[in-house]
Amino acid sequence: MSSLFDYDKNREAASAAKVRALEALLIKKGVLGSDSVDAVLSHFETVAGPFNGARIVARAWLDPEYKRRLLEDTPKAIAELQFPGMTGAEGEHMKAVANSETVHNLIICTLCSCYPWPVLGLPPYWYKDPVFRSRGVREPRAVLREFGVPISVDKEVKVWDSSAQIRWFVIPERPANSQHLNEEQLAALVTPEAMMGVALVAPPKAT
Amino acid sequence: MFTRFEEYAATKMLGQPDSPPRSEGKLFFSEEWQRTVFGMALALSKEGHFEWEDFRKKLVASIAAWEKDACAGDIKWDYYERYTLALIEVLEQCGVLEPGELERQITPDEPSK
Repeated sequence: MSSLFDYDKNREAASAAKVRALEALLIKKGVLGSDSVDAVLSHFETVAGPFNGARIVARAWLDPEYKRRLLEDTPKAIAELQFPGMTGAEGEHMKAVANSETVHNLIICTLCSCYPWPVLGLPPYWYKDPVFRSRGVREPRAVLREFGVPISVDKEVKVWDSSAQIRWFVIPERPANSQHLNEEQLAALVTPEAMMGVALVAPPKAT
Repeated sequence: MFTRFEEYAATKMLGQPDSPPRSEGKLFFSEEWQRTVFGMALALSKEGHFEWEDFRKKLVASIAAWEKDACAGDIKWDYYERYTLALIEVLEQCGVLEPGELERQITPDEPSK
C-alpha cells in the first residue's frame, strides 16, 4: 500500500554520502564553520520548542500560586523560569488561558500564522490551513469533536485568535492519576496539541 | 517580527509545499544526514551566502518535479533528498560551488550503497 514511501537503503546511503561530501567540501572551502550546523539546530532542539511550554504547564499544575501569576502576567511568569531563548520579542506577547471544569479553550489564528514558537515549537501542518482556521471560529465544537475532543454542552468553549500582538496558549487540565508525578514527569505528558486546545493531556501509563 | 533567523526560516516553510517533516512540535529527522543538510542550508543562508527565499524556490521546484515524475516512475518520496538537490542548486547559482564540483568530490570508489 505504501510502497511509494518504502525505505530504500541504497538511496538512503547515497544521500547520506552526498550530504557528508557537501559538508566536508564547504568546511574545506571555509564557507561553513564546523559547528555551524549544530549551532543552528540547537535553537530548535534546546532553545525554542514545546519542551518550554510543557515545563510551564507542569509548574502551573504543581503550584497554584504560579498558575495565578501565569494567567495574570504571562510574560513575567515565563521569565521566572529563565528559559534561554525567551528574552526576545516572541515571548513578550504570550498570554496563557486555563482549561477548567467549566471552560475549554481553543487557539487559532485567522489572520496570519502567529504561533508562540518558543513555547509550543513548530506548528502542525494544518495550523495554516484556512479551513481549519475559519471552522475553528464558526464551529469550534465540531472541529474539536473531529480532533477526538468532544466537549460536553455544559462546558463553555472559548476560541482565542492569535495575532502579532497576542499569542495565546492553553494550560490544559491536569490528567487523573498524576498526583505522584514530579514536574519533569508531568511535563513529559504535555503535548503541543494540548497547549493549543485540540487535545487533552492523557493520564500517565500505569506502571 | 522574528528576532531569530532560525524562526523566520522555518516559519516561512510551514503550511507551504516545502514544509519540513515534524512530529510533536519538533523537526523530525529519521537519519543524521537529514539533520545535517537541514542545518547546513539554514546556517549558510544565515551567514548571507544566499537568500532563504531563493533556496525555497529551488526546493518548491524540486518537490514539484518529483510530484510530476512520481506517477510515471517509482521514485519514492524523500523530502530531504529534494532538500539536498535544492541546496546544491542554490549553492551553484550563488557561486559558492562550481557546477559539478561536488560530483568531483564524491570519488568513484566512494561506495554508493
